[in-house]
Amino acid sequence: MGRSGSSWLKVLLVVLLAMGAFVSIIPFLYMVSHSLKSLAETVTRSSAIPFDPRFWPRVPQWVNYKVAWQEARFGLYFRNSVIITAVTICGLLVTSSLSAFAFAKLRFPGRDLVFSILLATLMIPQTVLLIPNFIVVAKLGWIDRLPALTVPFLASAFHIFLLRQFFSQIPDELLESARIDGASHLRSLLSIVVPLSKAPIFTVAFLSFIYTWNSLQWPLVVTQTPRWRPIAVGLTVFITEAGPETHLRLAGAVIAVIPVITMYFIAQRQFTEAITRSGLKE
Amino acid sequence: MDLRSYKRVRRRKDNLTGYLFILPSVLIISIFGIFPVFFTLYVSLHKWRIKRSRFLGLANYGELFGNVWYLLIVVAALGGIALAGYLLSRTKSSSRPRFTISGVFVLLIALAALAVFVPYLAEAGDGGMFGSMRVTIWYSLGTVPVQLGLGLLLASFLYQKIPAKQVFRVVYLLPYIVPSVASAAVFERLFSLKPESFANQVLALFGRSPMQWLLEPKGIFLLMSGERMAATSENIIANYWLSWAQGPSLALLSIMFFNWWVFVGYYTLIYTNGLANIPRQLYEAAEVDGAGKLTVFFRITLPLLSPTTYFLTLLGIIGTFKAFAHIYVLRHPAARGEVDPMSVQIFFTFFRKSRFGYAAAMSLLLFVIVLVLTLVQRRIMKERVHYG
Repeated sequence: MGRSGSSWLKVLLVVLLAMGAFVSIIPFLYMVSHSLKSLAETVTRSSAIPFDPRFWPRVPQWVNYKVAWQEARFGLYFRNSVIITAVTICGLLVTSSLSAFAFAKLRFPGRDLVFSILLATLMIPQTVLLIPNFIVVAKLGWIDRLPALTVPFLASAFHIFLLRQFFSQIPDELLESARIDGASHLRSLLSIVVPLSKAPIFTVAFLSFIYTWNSLQWPLVVTQTPRWRPIAVGLTVFITEAGPETHLRLAGAVIAVIPVITMYFIAQRQFTEAITRSGLKE
Repeated sequence: MDLRSYKRVRRRKDNLTGYLFILPSVLIISIFGIFPVFFTLYVSLHKWRIKRSRFLGLANYGELFGNVWYLLIVVAALGGIALAGYLLSRTKSSSRPRFTISGVFVLLIALAALAVFVPYLAEAGDGGMFGSMRVTIWYSLGTVPVQLGLGLLLASFLYQKIPAKQVFRVVYLLPYIVPSVASAAVFERLFSLKPESFANQVLALFGRSPMQWLLEPKGIFLLMSGERMAATSENIIANYWLSWAQGPSLALLSIMFFNWWVFVGYYTLIYTNGLANIPRQLYEAAEVDGAGKLTVFFRITLPLLSPTTYFLTLLGIIGTFKAFAHIYVLRHPAARGEVDPMSVQIFFTFFRKSRFGYAAAMSLLLFVIVLVLTLVQRRIMKERVHYG
């Protein structure tokens, strides 16, 4: 194939890729444009093409965000989501790095057996856990309280597996020399292993951020009042209540999406790498 | 203290540290991840509406399946299909026609048994649950292959030397990152029945009249045939297979669009990674041998990507068995449950109807199906997947 032929091909590829990107983005454009329309405009002024001025509002109604924010107590939901996510990520990082280190670097009877039992739990669908866990959490009196939303997620076999993969690549000699200098296992984990494993630890943090921030089913079941309701549940309730008021619904959606997108753009490289890495389990 | 006893003390201390380190994880995963499986079994043997009332034995399972004999025949037929698959796969290695003939024979009998007894089983058992199984199967068939195909296509484009790779990567992953409740709230408007909705505006561009989208419970093949496939016959078998022939509902198709939108970018990213792991020398060697582009794709790229494809297929199928948040937002009463896969059906039995015991029995059925699928796929892939 000639040089000019391959450069034409390249242009074609970029055009096709750009079309794919455009399709990914249209719903976001729709979300933003319609969250800024007036109620009347969401009905009378519409178009399927973002280049058409009718896709956009005549005058952006920024007040929609204020109305949505006040009507749905998004402030409270926001605070709840931040606390739930922060507690979960911190706890998860502690438990999974401790156990990943033990499974990768320490020798004790029953280690491999316990590890394979933990791995087997990955095959259990969430739906199976939903009912018994609800009964247990209700018995503990945790309904509408923070522990119900965090404690069950403070450890995960998947994240242990992810970290263990990486920890076992760290040479044993490095840890042995620290041991000879009299460092405890905890000390070598904190001062040698963790600093070497920033990328996989970020991966665990990012993945659990996305998972916790976006999860709906469990929080829906264990929160009956707005007290500890996270934003995903708050938005769902709001959507049902807002009914036909498209502009307010979508303003609510924008509010829920903004923190995630902001985080994503700040740390996009880590995010894309974290998600690629999560796909590496075979 | 001599060296030996020092070493023993140290080993004992090391053991203790190991157990201490894994203790928090093991405790939490045991309580919230392992114990519940047995507890579900216990719950499913009871009449349990918010509070436990009385022991029912297998009555919940009885309500689920209706008739034990139909169930046994269907399970035996599924086993027959597995056996036929095994026999037919043996043919290749041993090249003995005996296996082919017996394999085809077993397969035909099993399929005939399924064709007759699945309708009777669905008739005798819980209609809602069998309906949701049909939805789950359509949902898998309508999402996984499309996502694999488009993902591989975009990944092979993205793998070429082109500018702004990272920009594409970031944009493609955007739908996967955002809370699905929020993006589903947008799709709920995009595919609403109103003439001003996005989907109907697109139809209007092609001069078509608006459709019901997420509110349409009728199957897409039924709609395409001009409703000539409506069920009229009294025959249980014919009626049942007609409900399949009508296809997934238009509402479910709208949800599949959402699924493609969310996952194609993710599949692309994972495939790009898979492509990057294929050794360059293989391509160079193929070029020296004068292999064409298509040959290279089918002989090198595709086989070496098979671990990735295997992972994504399994992930996709299991994903349809646990689909929840987006369907919870996108489902509309007008669609009459034609969009509810098993996970959603179980959720409503548990959460709205408060039938904990019955929902637990349904969830164990789901567990068994997921487990069998995983094992079957593992078995198939063991023979077919190249791990380089």
